[in-house]
This record gives sequence, C-alpha cells and structure tokens, in this order.
Amino acid sequence: MVNIFQGENVMVQGITGAHGSFQAKAMQAAGTNVVAGTTPGKAGQQVDGIKVYDTVKDIQKDYTVNTTVIFVPARFAKAAILEAIEAQVPLIICITEGIPVHDMLIVRKRLQTSSSTLLGPNSPGALLPGVSKLGIIPATMSLPGNAAIVSRSGTLTYETMAGLTEKGIGQKYVIGIGGDVIHGMGYIECLQLFQADPDVDTIILIGEIGGQDEIVAADFIQKCITKPVFAYIAGHHAPEGVQLGHAGAILGSDAESASAKTEKLSDAGAITATSITELLNKIV
Amino acid sequence: MKLLEHEAKTLLAAANIPIPASLLVTKYNPVLPEVPIVLKSQVPTGGRGKAGGIIVVEEINNLQPSIQALFDLEIKGFTPKTLLAEEKLNIAKELYISLLIDRASSAVQLIAHINGGIEVEDNKNFKTWSLNNPNFDVIGQELADYYQLPGQTFVIQDLIQNLYKCFIKNDATLIEINPLILTTNGNLIAGDCKITLDDAAAFRHDWNFEDKPAEANFVTINPTGNIATIANGAGLAMATVDAAFEAGLQPANFLDIGGGANTETLLKAFNRIVQYQNVQAIIINIFAGITRADEVAKAIVAAKEQIPHLPPLFIRLAGTNHDAAVKILTDKGIVIMPNLQACLVAAKEVVHG
Repeated sequence: MVNIFQGENVMVQGITGAHGSFQAKAMQAAGTNVVAGTTPGKAGQQVDGIKVYDTVKDIQKDYTVNTTVIFVPARFAKAAILEAIEAQVPLIICITEGIPVHDMLIVRKRLQTSSSTLLGPNSPGALLPGVSKLGIIPATMSLPGNAAIVSRSGTLTYETMAGLTEKGIGQKYVIGIGGDVIHGMGYIECLQLFQADPDVDTIILIGEIGGQDEIVAADFIQKCITKPVFAYIAGHHAPEGVQLGHAGAILGSDAESASAKTEKLSDAGAITATSITELLNKIV
Repeated sequence: MKLLEHEAKTLLAAANIPIPASLLVTKYNPVLPEVPIVLKSQVPTGGRGKAGGIIVVEEINNLQPSIQALFDLEIKGFTPKTLLAEEKLNIAKELYISLLIDRASSAVQLIAHINGGIEVEDNKNFKTWSLNNPNFDVIGQELADYYQLPGQTFVIQDLIQNLYKCFIKNDATLIEINPLILTTNGNLIAGDCKITLDDAAAFRHDWNFEDKPAEANFVTINPTGNIATIANGAGLAMATVDAAFEAGLQPANFLDIGGGANTETLLKAFNRIVQYQNVQAIIINIFAGITRADEVAKAIVAAKEQIPHLPPLFIRLAGTNHDAAVKILTDKGIVIMPNLQACLVAAKEVVHG
C-alpha cells in the first residue's frame, strides 16, 4: 500500500509568511523533505535555503511534488487550494483557519473531478512520528509506535499524543481532519487507513459537538473496524446554537451533542470517556 | 451572524423575492402605518409569535398602544429597537422553504414542506433537494407538484433560482422562509424570513446589520459560574470546560486564546473574567505546540501584574519550553500544576472553602 503521508517531495504554499517559513523549517527538522515553496511575486527568494517560486506549476518544472502544505491567509486560501488541485498535487493539506464556507463548497465541487486528496482546512495536518511531519503537529512530543489518532481538534490532538508518549505508547499516525463545517478527508478515510495498516494496533478518535461525522464514524466502526477504538467527544457542556471556537463546533440538534455521539460510539464497540484524562487512563 | 427579519427581507427583496409592503417603525419615528396592519417585534430570537411579539391591528385607536406594548415586551431577554409594520395578507396557504449548507453532502440543500407556519418543527417528511449542480427548471417543477401548485410552476422556478442567488451572493449559511404565503390572489410572498450569514466571509462584504459577527472564541456559558477557564485551541478549551463540570465546578465561560497567547490577549481575557461576579478561581490550561510555554508564562505574569484583584490562578502549562515556563512563574510566586486534574482539585478547595 502506498502511504500518501510518506512526505516525499513536499512543498509549502505561503512559504514567506510568518507561519509558512517557521513551519517549513520545523517540518525539515522533523525529517520531511521540503523541496520548495510558493508566494506569488516572490520567485527567486529563499527561505532558510528553500527555494521560493511564484506558482505550484513552476515548482513542478523542477520537482515532482507529492504533497503541498498550505499556510496562506483565509481570503486567499480558496485560490491556493484550487491551484494545487489544478496542478494535480496528490495530497493537499490546508492549515488555514477561517475560510468562508462557500469557498469550501467550490473547492469540494472541484475535488469531485480530481484525483487529489484534501486534508483540512483548519487542520494541524498529519504527523507520522519518525517518518514525516506535514503540518504543525509538534513532532518533539511524539514517539514512533503503533497507535493511530484521528481528531477534529489541534491542541487536543497534541494533548492526546503527548499523553500517549508519556505512557510510552508510540504512534504510527497522528492526523487532524480539521474543525470546519466543510472539509476534505474525514474520519472514515482515516479509519480505513488505520484498519488496513498492519502496524496499527490501537485507534483513538477525538471528536467535537456539531455535525454528524462522529455518528457516521460510529456506524463505520461497528461494521468495518476490528481493532480497538478509544473515543472522546469534546463539548459535553456546550450551550446550544453557539459556535465554540471552531466553525464546525456548533450544537444544532440533540443528535449533534457530545453525549449522543459518545453513546453512539460506545454502542459501536468503542471505549469512551468524558474527559481526555479518563480516556488516556483507559488506553493501555 | 443572524439577521433580523427586516434585514433578511431587504436581502430577499434585492434578489427579487416578493415580500409584503412594509414600513420600519422606530421609537422616534413619527410616521405611523395605516390600518389594518401587522406589527412585528424585531428581536434576534425565535418563538416570537407565541410570545406575543406579533400584533394584528385593525382599529386606528389600537395602533399607538400596540406599538408601545411591543416596544415594552421582552422576548427571551431581548427588547426590540424596531418594529416591522407589514400589510395584512389574505392567506390561502402557508408553505415552508429553506436553503442551508448540508454538512454530510458538502452541498447547498433545499428543504420544503407543504405545511409551513409556527408548528413546522412538528412536521415530518420534509422534501429535500441537493443544489450541487442544480437544474432549477426540474427542481422547480417537482417543488410545484409537491406544493400542489402546478399553476405556479414558473413562479416557483424563478423563486428558487432567486433564493439560490441570494444565498450565494450574500455568503449565507441559512435562508428560511416560513411561512411562504400563498395569498388568496395567488401570489407567493415571504411571510417571515430568517437568514444567517457566514462570519468568515465578512471581509468581502459591506455588512452593516444590528447583530455583529459573533465572538466564537469567548463564550459565556453561565454568568454566575464559580470558575473561569482559559485554554488554547477550540478542542482543548471544550475539553477543559468538560473536565471542570466533571469535577463539580461551574465554569462561567469557554475561552480559546488561540495560538498567539500574548500579554494583550491574556489581559483582555482577565478583564472580561473579573466581570463575572462569582468567579473565585481561574483555570488556565495551555498545551504549547506552536505556541511557546515560556512566552505564555511571561504573558501571564505581565497581565496579572496589571490587574490588582484577580482571582487565584491555577495553571497547567505543558509542551514546548515547559521548563523555562515553570521557572518564570515560580520566580514570581505563581504555582504551576502538574496537570489539569490538580488545577481542578485546587480550584475546588477555593470555591467550596
């Protein structure tokens, strides 16, 4: 199986920005092969020895790019994602937060006729400890191993990962699917990947209030996942109809609540908890 | 951002969707509408009709008292700044139609029901259409058949096309017309309308509505709560609130200070927290990933020094540069806790004596 998160020939869109330049360096430090980056109008510059180009297609004249990590500001993010789709970059990871939902509808529509995979937006990216860092998940707190984390949250992902590391439980995958209403890869694609990878022996799913994604994931876990799943849903005491930080974290109906989702996951065979501490205590 | 009815109807009218003839009444507006008229309180909440926020005025003598009554009437904590005075329609039928963003299909969805009105939530079997590559001629035909209004097919085709344009042009996440009124003259008119706009798209619009983009990062959960919470990242902030409830505390707020936790953001947070009368302790739960713990520690120290009567802080600060952070805080006599659980136990001692 070809692992799309292998991290060979990675580029960064928005590489001259504060986040882009800092994170490009951090990705390199974690062993990821960052070959180039883009910022329109800044071709010819360098960021810590990484060459800057105007466009993704310009980079492709010199390199075969497998992954792009996007750090451009929200108002330009749609154009950046569409540019990467147009250039047929296999894996597109969008870190940017606060992209208008209508822009993401356009992106999703374009993805229907594309072979590219999108992770995010509003995602911390993916980390394969000891292999690759595609995004902003702090590699220093990870440990190579056999657990796999999929999460809608950033810091809560780090917390879970660091908690596992502290207990000596290493991770094969740490993936943030992002906290927005409309996004790319979801729980199902990640669960499929974890189930199919013989290295993975434990799955951890971190969810939030809002939407039906965790309900759908619970059905999938029941039908297709034979590995142990541990799950926590954040937002048990969220007020109804109010957005909590993430654009997607808004409690609509009772079915979108943390308790309803926890119950569904529990019924599907997952081991659940009502706090991260409790969840970490249950994982051995 | 949720619009008031009259604001929503202004957007509908601009998209050529029929609305009743109307006049906006403010407290100081001497222009009075002619009777018969429907007066509607402009409050940013639902259930207005059931709360007495809509009055049909038939007699001129009742007009001024009705206006006064509506301005005085509080509905779910809101009193109106304006009233919408609308022509009284002769209703033959009340229908339901809405457009929203369906998360599961990542597409705009049209939802309809043949029975509109205030009891719409009790309805079952809503009809839905995905508007991913929509063919409005086909959908309009099907909708007209469903509404049992085959004679209105052309009108309905136009209506849904205009609704969709209105939805896209305004970066809406919800447009709900309920009821969509069929008058005895055979006209389809938007009786009431709710519109929600996407705050994230505010940069490309010149929005000037009564409601302002909501602050998603600081949310009051319980104004009389006994502790306040500060965390970085939406998920961790929610998890912190969850853990505080589990521990038997009453969190007043949810606060995600995000990646850039500097003195200014903390100062702002502290200043808001001290306005909660009953807060006796502040839990700070930071996991430094991109953020650096030592910088957060410096910011905490600087902000704390500027606010004299700050409730005690219980701080958990993990991640990048943790050791440097511990030194900065302990040098100032601020205790850093090994984990969130320890913060909660210590806060409980303060709250419950």
